[in-house]
Amino acid sequence: MVREGKVARAGALLVTAFTYLFLYVPIIVLLVFSFNSERFPSPWTQFSLKWYKELLHSEDLWQSFRNSLVVAGSATLISLVSGICLIFYASQGGRIKRFLGMFYGNLLIPETVLAVSMLTLFATLKIPLGITTLILAHTVLGLGFVIPIVYARYRELDPHLTEASLDLGATPIQSFFKVTLPMLRPTMITTSLLVFIISFDDFILSYFVAGSSAQTLSLYILSMIRSGVSPVVNALSSILLVLSSLLVFIYFSFQTRVRIVP
Amino acid sequence: MRASLKSEKPFAIGLPALVWQALFFYLPLALVFVSSFIRLSNEGKFQGFTLSHIATFLNLIYFKVIGASLLLALSNALLCFLVAFPLAYFLAFIAKGARNILLFLLIVPFWTNFLLHVYAWFYVLERHGIVNTLLQKIGLIETPIHFLNSTFATMIMMVYYYLPFMVLPIFSALESFNFSLIEASLDLGASWNSTFRRILLPLTRKGIIAGFFLVFIPSFGEFAIPELMGGERHAFVGTVVSQYILGEGTGSLGSAFTLLSALCLIAAAMLLYRLINFLLIPRMRRG
Amino acid sequence: MRDIILKKLKKSINGQAIIPEVNLRIPAGKFFALLGPSGCGKTTLLRLIAGLETADAGQILLGDNDFSKTPIHERPINIVFQNYALFPHLNVFENVAYSLKLKKIPKKIIEQKIFKILEAFHLETHVYKMVSQLSGGQQQRVALARAIMNAPEVLLLDEPLAALDFKLREKMLLELIELQDELKTTFIYVTHDQFEALTVADQMAIMNHNGEIEQIGTPKQIYEFPHSSFVARFVGTTNILNGTLHDLDSDPKIDVPGLGMLKCYFSKKADWMVEGCTAIMSLRPEKIFISKKEAKNFTNQIKGVVHSIVYHGRSTQYNVIVGDNIKLQIFEQNEEHFPQEVIDYDDEVFLYWQRENGVLLEK
Repeated sequence: MVREGKVARAGALLVTAFTYLFLYVPIIVLLVFSFNSERFPSPWTQFSLKWYKELLHSEDLWQSFRNSLVVAGSATLISLVSGICLIFYASQGGRIKRFLGMFYGNLLIPETVLAVSMLTLFATLKIPLGITTLILAHTVLGLGFVIPIVYARYRELDPHLTEASLDLGATPIQSFFKVTLPMLRPTMITTSLLVFIISFDDFILSYFVAGSSAQTLSLYILSMIRSGVSPVVNALSSILLVLSSLLVFIYFSFQTRVRIVP
Repeated sequence: MRASLKSEKPFAIGLPALVWQALFFYLPLALVFVSSFIRLSNEGKFQGFTLSHIATFLNLIYFKVIGASLLLALSNALLCFLVAFPLAYFLAFIAKGARNILLFLLIVPFWTNFLLHVYAWFYVLERHGIVNTLLQKIGLIETPIHFLNSTFATMIMMVYYYLPFMVLPIFSALESFNFSLIEASLDLGASWNSTFRRILLPLTRKGIIAGFFLVFIPSFGEFAIPELMGGERHAFVGTVVSQYILGEGTGSLGSAFTLLSALCLIAAAMLLYRLINFLLIPRMRRG
Repeated sequence: MRDIILKKLKKSINGQAIIPEVNLRIPAGKFFALLGPSGCGKTTLLRLIAGLETADAGQILLGDNDFSKTPIHERPINIVFQNYALFPHLNVFENVAYSLKLKKIPKKIIEQKIFKILEAFHLETHVYKMVSQLSGGQQQRVALARAIMNAPEVLLLDEPLAALDFKLREKMLLELIELQDELKTTFIYVTHDQFEALTVADQMAIMNHNGEIEQIGTPKQIYEFPHSSFVARFVGTTNILNGTLHDLDSDPKIDVPGLGMLKCYFSKKADWMVEGCTAIMSLRPEKIFISKKEAKNFTNQIKGVVHSIVYHGRSTQYNVIVGDNIKLQIFEQNEEHFPQEVIDYDDEVFLYWQRENGVLLEK
C-alpha cells in the first residue's frame, strides 16, 4: 500500500470522477433526448422512436455513411497490406530501419498542414476531388499508424521462432507466412481497428480533400449541426456510440496487455 | 542474433508503402514549400520565383493569428495535462481492478465521431440547454448564460477532444513505472511532494512529452472547434489557411501561410521541448 | 551416417573473435557433448553447425559433403533451442507435425507418426493443448519431439535442460541417453554444466573462454587425465600444485616448495618435460585419503591441519592447510552413519594418495 497522502489520493479520485462525468454527461443527455418525442428545446415529453425512423429514411445520411465506410475500409486495407509487404521485405533480410523515420511525420504534423499539402498536390496534378482523393489522403494517415506499430511488434517477436521454422525445413518465405504473420495477427487487427476509426471519424482531412461531390459522415454531421439542433442528430449519435463501443470492445479483447500502441 | 538470410531481397515488394509515403506525404509537402515561392499567371503558368507571398504575411495581423493558434495549443496542452496526470495516476496505481472498464470508458468517446461531441456540448450548453435550464430551475440565475460562442466553450471542447491523447501516453509511462522507486524514496524520508517532483515526474518525462506533443501540435492546426464553439471571434491559422487554399487563385498564398505557420510551430515545439525538459529533469543533474 | 567435421572454422561478431579457429571431428551416431563456461562461444559454434550463423572462414562437412554454404532449411540437421522456441499459435500436434506438413505428407500418415512419437514422449494426453498450457518439462519434450520428427542426421541441443529444476534434469538426462541409444542419431549437446556433460557424453570436448577447444576425449579421459589446469578446474574440482619436475625417466617426482618431493604420474612424455622444469600437478580431492593415523602402502603422504569442514550429505569436504600455507581440498564419502574416526577442526591429519592420482598437466 502506498502512503501517497490522503490529499493526493482524494485529489486524483476527484479529478477522475469529474472527468468521466464531464466525458459522459453530454453523451447521456444526447442519448436520452434522442427518444424524446418533441423537438429541442422542449423538455422531456414522451418516449418516441420517430427521430430514429426519420434518420433511417434519410438518403443523404446513408450515402455519406457508405462513403465513409468505403473510404475508411479502403484506407485501412491499403495501409495494412503495404505495411505487411514492408515487413515481409524486412523479414527476408531487407534493411528498413532507416526508412522507418519517414513515417513518423504523418502523426506529428497538424492535420491541417497535411490536408493543405495534399490539396495542393491534387490541384497541381489536376486530380478531381472525391472518394479517390479521400482514400489517398486517409491512407497516408493509416500508414502513419500501421508502419510504426506493426513494425515495433515485429521487432519484439522471438527471433528463435523464425529460426526454428527454418531449421524444420521451411523456406524463409514459408516461415513468414506460417510463423511471423500469424503472430502479428492480434496487432494487425487492433491497428486496423484504430486506423478504421480514425479514418471514419476524420474531419479535417475530409473537409479539405473531399471536394463538393463526396460527403463523408463527418461532413454530413457538420452540415446538420450548422442548420441547428435537431434530434435526428441525437439519434445518429446514439447509434454511432453503440457502434464505437462495439469496436472498442473488440479492440480490448485482442489486447494482451493494455498499452497505448496495440 | 537473427539468422542471416542471404536470399534475394525482393525490394520491389517492400516498395508500395515507401512509394505511397513519398508520393502522398513528402511530395505534397515539397509542393507546398515550392508553391509558396512561385508566381503563377492567371492561367496557371509558371512566371518565376517570388517572395511576395511570404511577404504578404509578414504583418502583425497574421502574426496575431499564429500567436492565437499557439496560445490555443499551449493552453489546451496545459489544461489537458493538469487533468490527464491525476487521471492517469488514478488509473495506473489506484484503480487497479476497475482499470480495464475505466480505460474502455475513456476510449469509447475517443472513438466516436468528434463532431457528435461538438453537437453534444452544443446541446448541453445552449441557451435552452440542460445546464441553463437546470441553473434556472435551481434559481442560481435569472436569464440563461451564453456559454456558447465563447472561449470557455472552445476550451471545454478542446480539452474534451484532446484529453485521451494526453492520458494514454502518460498512463503507459506510469503503468511501466517501477513503483518501488517511490516506496524507496518515501522510505528514505522524502515527503510525497518531493518524491513526486524528484522521482515520479522525471522518470515519466518521456510519456509526458509524448502527450504534450500529441496535443500541442494538432491543436495548433485546429479551427473547427473554435469556429463551432467560439463563434467567429478569432481567426486561427486553420481558418486563414482554409480561406486561402479553398479560394480562387489564392492557392499560393495558402501555401505560403502554411509554410510560415509551420515554421513558427516547429520553433515553438522545440522551445516547449526544452522547457519541459528543464522543468522535469532534476536540478542536480544539470550543469 | 556421417561424421561431422569442422575444419578451420572461424567466426567473429562485431570485431570480436568468438571462435578463433576450431578443428573438430564428431563421430557419427555418438552422443557428443561440448562443455564450456558461459559466453565462451559454444552456442555460436552450435548455431554455425545448424546454419543459423555463417562462418567467416572454414568448412562444415558431413562426411565428404561441404554444408557450409547450404541454407538452414536444407540441412539434415535440427536444433532444440534453449528456450524451446515452440510456436505459441500452434498446439502440440501442430508444432510437432510442422516439418511433416511442409513435406506434404498425407494427413493420415502424419497423424499416425505424431501419435506414435507423442506416446513415446508421454505426451498423449496433451496432444491438442496450446504450448503455454504445458509445464517446462513437457514443453521440452515437445521441442525434442518436433526436432526428431524430421529424422535428422544430427540433433543439436543448446543447453536444453537449463530451465528445469534439478530432479527433472536428472530424469531428462537419462531419457536423453536412452533416446540417443535408440535413434542412433548423432547428438551434439552443448552445456556449461559439467555434471550433465559427464553423464550423457560418449565423447566430449572442452572449450575455454576464448572459444578454443582445449581437450577432446571420453568423459573418463577428460576427468582423470586433464591436459590443462583449465580443464582440470572446469571439469570437477581439483587441487593444483606447482613445482619443479625431477627424475622424469626413472621415478617422476614434483618438488613442491613446502611439501617436498611428491611422486606423480604422466601418461605420455612430452617435449617440454626436462629435468628441473616447472610443472603443474592436478590432484582430485576424492583421490586423497585423510586420517589422524599414519598410513602405510601409499606413495605419497603429507601432514596438515584441518582448516574447515563442509558437510555435503553424500560426502564431507575437508579443507586442510599443508606445507607453506597451501590449502588442499579433500572429499571423503560418508560411507558410515557412525564413522570410526571423527575428524574435527584444527586436528592434525595425514593426507595420502597413490602416485597415479597426481596427474601432470600439459602446458
